[in-house]
Formats: sequence, C-alpha cells, structure tokens
Amino acid sequence: MEPGVRQGDWILVAALGRRPRVGEIVLARDPRARERLVMKRVAAVSERACTLLGDHPEESTDSRQFGPVALADVLGRAVFRYAPRGRIGRLEGRR
Amino acid sequence: MLARLLRPSVTAYAHCDLPCGIYDPEQARIEAESCYKTIEKYNASSDEHFKARAILVKEERAELAKHHIDVLWSDYFKPEHVQKYPEITDLCWKAAKQASKVKQSLDPGEARTLIELIDKIADVWTKAGGPQATRMPRAVGARA
Repeated sequence: MEPGVRQGDWILVAALGRRPRVGEIVLARDPRARERLVMKRVAAVSERACTLLGDHPEESTDSRQFGPVALADVLGRAVFRYAPRGRIGRLEGRR
Repeated sequence: MLARLLRPSVTAYAHCDLPCGIYDPEQARIEAESCYKTIEKYNASSDEHFKARAILVKEERAELAKHHIDVLWSDYFKPEHVQKYPEITDLCWKAAKQASKVKQSLDPGEARTLIELIDKIADVWTKAGGPQATRMPRAVGARA
C-alpha cells in the first residue's frame, strides 16, 4: 500500500456506518482468511461488494487476487496516522 | 506506558502476499538441473535397479520444477508484469509444458530446453525487480 500506508504506521480507523467511497483507504477482512485484516484503497463499489486495490500494483496483493470484498467485511475507514512522528497526518482519499 | 496505551489494538496487512512473498526462478532451475543430471546418470548406468530409481527421481523433480514455475506464474507475476513483459505468459506456459515433457522423456536435450526456458523466465523476473523485491538480502561477504 505504499506510499499511502507504510509498514509500521499506526492508524486510527473510524467505523464506517455508510458505504465505502472510491479513493478512500479502508480496513477490511481478507476474503481468503477472514481473521486477517487488510488495508487497501477502494477502487470500485457495487451493490454488495467493493474492489480493493493496493497503491503499488506490481507489489500488491489485492482484489485482483482475492476478488471483491463484501461490504459487510469492510470494517472501517483509515482517517489519521498518529505514528511514526514524521508521518503524522490525515489520510486523504484520492482517486 | 503512554506508548502502550496508544499502541494499535489490531494489525492490518497493507502489503505482502499471504504466504511469504519470496519468489525465485532458481528454485525451479535447481529441480530442472536435477532432471538433467539424473537423465545423464540413467543413460550411463547398466544397473536396472539404479535406472528404475533414476526414473522415479527424475519424474519427481520434473513435477517439482513444474510446481515452482506455476507458483511464479500464478502468484508472482501480476497483470502489470504481463503488460510490461508480454512474453512471460508464453514462457511460463511453455516451461510448464516442457516440465511435463521432461517427466516423460529420458533425453537430456529436453531437460536442457527446460533449463533454458526457466532462464528466460528468470530474465523477466530480474528485469521486473524480482531479486530486490522477492528475496532477502544476503549477509555481506557470505558469497564472494
């Protein structure tokens, strides 16, 4: 997910309470192993599922491998990075 | 204390393949080299028991080579790689088929062809940045 999110980032995730929007970074269950959580960017949203993609397509494992993610499995939206200190800041959605 | 309070309560994966993300065509090459050498030894021997074992080992190694080629193809290479290096689709397909051929054959030439195809896959893997992205660096000086 670099450069959006890096290994070791501490991130505040807000409950979604609405449908995810294209461009925002979300926390979701990995459809291949549900106890595992992934953080990816929303690329498309349909009626019941969304497509999640990493920011770095050549390296990322995302919906291209694990398929669409059910909306019920999208747990929240990444809103703020509070560590490490040099990278503190709001996480902007982008398209 | 404060750090402990602030530490995130769950860990999410934003990167990395599910198993390990380590890929290297060398793994397939070693199995293909085994096939080559085993066929050589088979042809040089007149001991029927040894020859029977050689065939068994060769078929097993060829199957492993095929497996490692398939792992590269289905797990490592991504659509972006195919776009940049369109020859990779055909190379992996040919190499997997060649591994089947080596399984059936006792001709060292077939094993040689398999090694060459794996080398071509390795070229693409290297161009795609595989050595840096999918292997761990060696300890300095561990290999002269």
